[in-house]
Amino acid sequence: MPCTWVMACAYAPSGCAVACGGLDNKCSVYPLSLDKNENLAAKKKSVAMHTNYLSACSFTNSDMQILTSSGDGTCALWDVESGQLLQSFHGHAADVLCLDLAPSETGNTFVSGGCDKKVNVWDMRSGQCIQSFETHESDINSVRYYPSGDAFASGSDDATCRLYDLRADREVAIYSKESIIFGVSSVDFSLSGRLLFGGYNDYTINVWDVLKGTRVSILFGHENRVSTLRVSPDGTAFCTGSWDHTLRIWA
Amino acid sequence: LSGKMCSSSNSIIQAQKLVDQLQIEAGMERFKISLTAADLVQYCQEHRRSDPLLTGISASSNPFKDKKTCVLL
Repeated sequence: MPCTWVMACAYAPSGCAVACGGLDNKCSVYPLSLDKNENLAAKKKSVAMHTNYLSACSFTNSDMQILTSSGDGTCALWDVESGQLLQSFHGHAADVLCLDLAPSETGNTFVSGGCDKKVNVWDMRSGQCIQSFETHESDINSVRYYPSGDAFASGSDDATCRLYDLRADREVAIYSKESIIFGVSSVDFSLSGRLLFGGYNDYTINVWDVLKGTRVSILFGHENRVSTLRVSPDGTAFCTGSWDHTLRIWA
Repeated sequence: LSGKMCSSSNSIIQAQKLVDQLQIEAGMERFKISLTAADLVQYCQEHRRSDPLLTGISASSNPFKDKKTCVLL
């Protein structure tokens, strides 16, 4: 990739392409192929163009549209084929660091978190911000919908994870401990939504009981910051990526 | 500061946009947390059994289980 830092990547729903981007301010889509002779770099398609770094990207329900968030404070929806900007989302007062799309059953919304300490919920079709939450005390590094789509969790540099209920329009839980002082870089739910996994900058993973608000477990293994975390689609394991150059799978 | 007149009308426009946005958000229909929280709990309970990280995996189907007991020399 022709840029120093890749900050975001995402699989297309079909598994046939990958989108990525970072300090190049763009999101590019690469078709995947098992043919070793194919020059995949030549088939790269530049889809999104922001005026600052790309912090996150995600395909919508199809391979045809991609949602991006950027250090320029906006999110945007793009048509992959033409590279056309379909919708832009303005409302954050600072860099947008993360986004997550609502589970398909619940409709066309997505949530974004930024350096302005706010989490915004957006209507993808109108570009309108429909809800906003500002309870974190620092940058929000990660947001993730609860499996039912009625709530979402966020992880922040303020060392807390929080759960927000969308229908009640308020924060309902804070997952924190006095002993945890390092920021959360990434959060994800287990399949039932009972467990919340958080990757922290103190190299650990804390596992929270979503309903009780207590910590279930703390996992050690990484030798540097955990920068990303994702539960597998079948829910049997989760994977963490770290500044220690490793990816670890936990089951 | 040059353009001071311009910036004050800009800040009025910005403030108006903020007010409009807040009115949209205020107009949202909210549900009582006692009801919505119950739904979250119910979702967890309904899907408990299909969550392998919660219920664990039986030793026979676990490809990562230890094959031998540890021998301390």
